Amino acid sequence: MSRVALKIVGAQGQGVNSIGEICAKGLKRAGYCVFGYREYMSLIKGGHSCYQLDISDCRIGSSETKVNILVALNHHGLNKNAGEVKDSGIIIHQTPQWEFPSDADADLRKRNVTVLYLPAEDILKKIKGKAILGNMLTVSAVWSLLGRDADDLKKLVREQFERKGEELVQMNFRCIDEGVTFIHDVVGAGHALPIQPIALPPANSQLKSNMLITGSQAMGLGLIRGGCRFYAGYPMTPASPLLTFIADAQNDTGMVVKQAEDEITAAQMMSGAMYMGTRAATGTSGGGFDLMTETVSLNGIVENPSVFILAQRPGPGTGLPTWTAQGDLLLAIGSAHGEFARCVISVSDAQDCFDLMPEAFNIAEEFQTPVIVMTDKHIAEGLFTQERFDQEKTKIRRGNLITDPKQLKKLKSHDRYDPATTDGISPRWLPGADAATYCAQGDEHDAEGAVNETAKNAAAQMEKRMRKMEALKKMLPEPTLWSVESARLPPACRQGRAGQGKWKVANDDSELDLLVVSWGSNKGAIRDALATFGFQLSVGYLHYTYLWPIKTDRLQSLMKKAKRTVLVECNAQGQLGMVIKMASGIDIKDRILKFDGRPFFCDELSSLLSAAPAIRHP
Amino acid sequence: MIMLIPLEYNGPKMQDYRCSAQCTWCDGCGDYGIWTAVKRALVELRIAPNQVCLCFDVGCHGNGSDKLTGYRFHGLHGRVIPFAAGAKLGNMKLPVIAFGGDGASFSEGIGHLVHGIRSNYPITFILHNNANYGLTLGQASALTRQEQKMNSSPNGIPEHTLNSMDMVFALEPTFVARGFSGDIPQLTKIFKAAIEHQKHGFAFVDVLQACPTYNFFATHEYLLGKCYDANADGHNPRCEPSKARALAINTSEKIATGILYQCEDAPNFYERLKPRNGKKTTLVEEVKECDVEEFMKKLV
Repeated sequence: MSRVALKIVGAQGQGVNSIGEICAKGLKRAGYCVFGYREYMSLIKGGHSCYQLDISDCRIGSSETKVNILVALNHHGLNKNAGEVKDSGIIIHQTPQWEFPSDADADLRKRNVTVLYLPAEDILKKIKGKAILGNMLTVSAVWSLLGRDADDLKKLVREQFERKGEELVQMNFRCIDEGVTFIHDVVGAGHALPIQPIALPPANSQLKSNMLITGSQAMGLGLIRGGCRFYAGYPMTPASPLLTFIADAQNDTGMVVKQAEDEITAAQMMSGAMYMGTRAATGTSGGGFDLMTETVSLNGIVENPSVFILAQRPGPGTGLPTWTAQGDLLLAIGSAHGEFARCVISVSDAQDCFDLMPEAFNIAEEFQTPVIVMTDKHIAEGLFTQERFDQEKTKIRRGNLITDPKQLKKLKSHDRYDPATTDGISPRWLPGADAATYCAQGDEHDAEGAVNETAKNAAAQMEKRMRKMEALKKMLPEPTLWSVESARLPPACRQGRAGQGKWKVANDDSELDLLVVSWGSNKGAIRDALATFGFQLSVGYLHYTYLWPIKTDRLQSLMKKAKRTVLVECNAQGQLGMVIKMASGIDIKDRILKFDGRPFFCDELSSLLSAAPAIRHP
Repeated sequence: MIMLIPLEYNGPKMQDYRCSAQCTWCDGCGDYGIWTAVKRALVELRIAPNQVCLCFDVGCHGNGSDKLTGYRFHGLHGRVIPFAAGAKLGNMKLPVIAFGGDGASFSEGIGHLVHGIRSNYPITFILHNNANYGLTLGQASALTRQEQKMNSSPNGIPEHTLNSMDMVFALEPTFVARGFSGDIPQLTKIFKAAIEHQKHGFAFVDVLQACPTYNFFATHEYLLGKCYDANADGHNPRCEPSKARALAINTSEKIATGILYQCEDAPNFYERLKPRNGKKTTLVEEVKECDVEEFMKKLV
C-alpha cells in the first residue's frame, strides 16, 4: 500500500488544527483515506503541537514516524521536527532568514530534503490579509505540493466560509491563488533543490462519500443511535470531546446533558436515570473513573444497568493528560469493592465506537450490571476516514424488562431479586409501573430488596449475581481474528501487489507464521504494520473487543498452531497478557510494550515485529 | 388536627405503605416520627406506593428503606441527591423524594447539596438532622455542637459548627422548611408542601430529630421546648429571602419551624433545559433507535 504523510507543527493556537482539518477534508473528498493524529500539550496556548495526516488510497488506521511534508509554523518546529522528514521530503516554513545548524543542514542535504521558505507575512501584506489567513496560504501551498487542483480547495472553502460573507470567501481565494503561484514559481524556476510534487497514489473514488470522524464523534453517534437520552460528565481529557459533542448535539437530539460538579455526581446521575428506566451514560478518564468506582460497585449489588466510558491517558496521577495509554485495563476489570459481574469492552476505531455503544447498553440491560467501555486518547481524538455507519445493524435489546401491564400485575416484590433464577437474571420493572414495588437495595438484601444479613441469604444472593457473569461470558463472542486476504493468494498472483492486501475477519484458524494479540487502539497500527508482511508470511491479528469476562479458547487453539505469538500493548505490564494468564494460565512471553504516551506507529511496529523475538520488560 | 381522609375513599391508605420488615431504630428515635409523617403526607396527597420514588442515603434513616413500600433505592453514603436528581430527570412524571442525614449531607456529600439547591432540581430533600453520625456509633458531624464530647472526639471537635441554614440560604433556594420529629402533624403538612414544590424545584426540609442514644444536647424535650410553629405565628414563607434567612439562622432563643421560605416563580432545572422545551414525553419513554443520518451527512 502506498501512503504519504503530512505533518503540521507549531505553537498551540497558531492554526495547526485548522490547517490539518482543511487538508484532511479536502483529501478525503478527493478520494483518499486520511488518518489524523494530534499531539499537543496540556495548556491552552504556546506549547508545541502537531497534527499529522497519513494519506492513502487504501484503508489505513495509523501514523508513520516519518513524514513526506513538514509544515513548520514556527522555528521550534523546524528544530524539533526536521529530523522526521523522509528522504526527498519537503519542509515548508515561515521563519525569515532561517538557517539550520550546520549538522542538521548537512543531514537534510544528504537526504535530499527540500526546505522551502514561504514568505507568508510578505504575501499577506501584499494582499492586505489578516494574519489568520496565513493558514489558508499554507494549506494552498501544501495542496499544490500534493499536486491537487486548487478549484477543489476553493469549493471546500466556499462551503466552509460562505455563511460568513462573500468578502471572506474571496480573501481566502486570493490566498489560495498566492499559494499556488508560490509553489508553481518554486517548482518551475529550477530551485536550488529541484522539487517534485509529492506523488499521491491514484484516488479511490469509493472513499469520497466516507465521513471524516473522530472517535469521540463516532462514540457520540453510537450513544445517540442506541437510545441514550441522558449524558452526565465532568471535563477531563480525553473524555471531554465526547461531552462536548453530545452537548453540542442536544438541541437536535433533545437529550439531557449535564456537566456535573464532579465525577461522582456524574456517575450517580447516570445511575439514577438508568434506575428510572431511560438509557444514560457517563464518561471520564482514569482519575475521574477512580472517583466513580464506588458507584460501579453500588450498581453491581442493586443490579442496576449502567454504562461507564473510560477514556485512557497515561497515569499514575495527573500523568500525561493529553497523551495516550492502555494502562487502565486492570483498573476497569478490578475496580470497585466487592465481587460482582461486570462487562469490560474496548473500542478500537470509529466503527467500533459507533457499533459498541448500543451494544454496551444492551449488555447493561440484559445482565442488569455495570458495563465499562474503554477508549483512549488515540481513538478519542484520532481522525478516521469512515464509511457511513449501517444504522440497521443497531437493535435495542432491553433484556428481562417487563412493561406489559398484564405481566406487571402478576409480579411480586420478591421477583426482583429472587435468587432462584438459573442465570441470575431477574425480571426488572421500572419505578412508576403499576406493579408490586421493591427496594433497589445497596445493602445485602433478600429477594424483594429488604436488608438481610443472614449467612444463607448472603451466599444465595452472591451466587445469584455471580451466575450472571457465567451467562455473560457464554454470550460474549470470542476475540476476532483478522487476516490479510491476499496472503492466501498463490505466489504468482502476488507479483507487484505488495502490501495491497485487504483485511478481513477470518474464520479459518489454521497455522500462522505470526499471531499478534492485542486490543483497543493498537488495531490500526498492527493491521497497517502486518500488511507490509502480508506476502512473506501468513499473519493473523487476534483482536480482543470483550475483555471481561475474558474468553481464551480461540487464543489457545491459534497459539498452539502459530509459529510465533506476540502480545502488543500500550502499557508497561502487558495487562491484557496478565488477564489472559490469570484466566487461562497461558503466558505470552513475546511482548512488545510501549508506555511513553505515544501510540504505536505502523513503521515502528513493523520493525519491532520483524526483530528477533524478545521479551521486553518495563 | 383535622382528619383529611373522607369516609368514602378509594385512594392509597396508610396500610398500603406497610411492609413486613420490622423497624430497627432505637426507642425514642426521631426516625419513627419522620417515617410516619412521610407515609401520611404521601397518602394525603393520594400518591400510591407505585407512583413514587424514594431514595435513601446511608445512615440510621437509610435503614428505613425497607420499612415501607414504594419504588425505593438505598445507595451510597453522601450521594443520594445526584442519584435522585438523575432519576427525576429520567421521569419527570414521578415524584422523587431523597432522604439524607446531616453527616452525609454536610460532610461527605456537601458538594451535592450545594449543587442540588443551586441547580434547583425538581426533587424533595428531607434532611434527617440528629446532629451526629448515629449508625457508626455517635461521631461528631459538621452540625454537632463544638463543645460536645463525641465518639472519636473526646475533647469535642476542633472545628466550629456549621451554620447549615445560613449555608442553605446562601445558595438561593426556592423552598426551605424546618420541622421537628416530635410533631408529626406539622411534619406531614411540611412534607406535603415540599412534595408539591417539586414542580417548582428543589425543596429542602431540615428535620430536627431526636437521637436518644448519642445526642444529649438537642434532646426530644429540648426541641419540644424550643421549637415553635412560625407559620402559625404569622410568618409568610413567600417573603424576602433575607427575612426568612434571619428567621432560620437565629436559633438562640427559639427555633422557628414550618415553611420558612418558598418561591414559585423560578423555573426548575428541567424547565431550564432548552432541548426539553415543549417535550411531552419523559426520557424513559424516549428510549428507541434514533436516526443519526443528519449527523453523518455533516461529517462527509
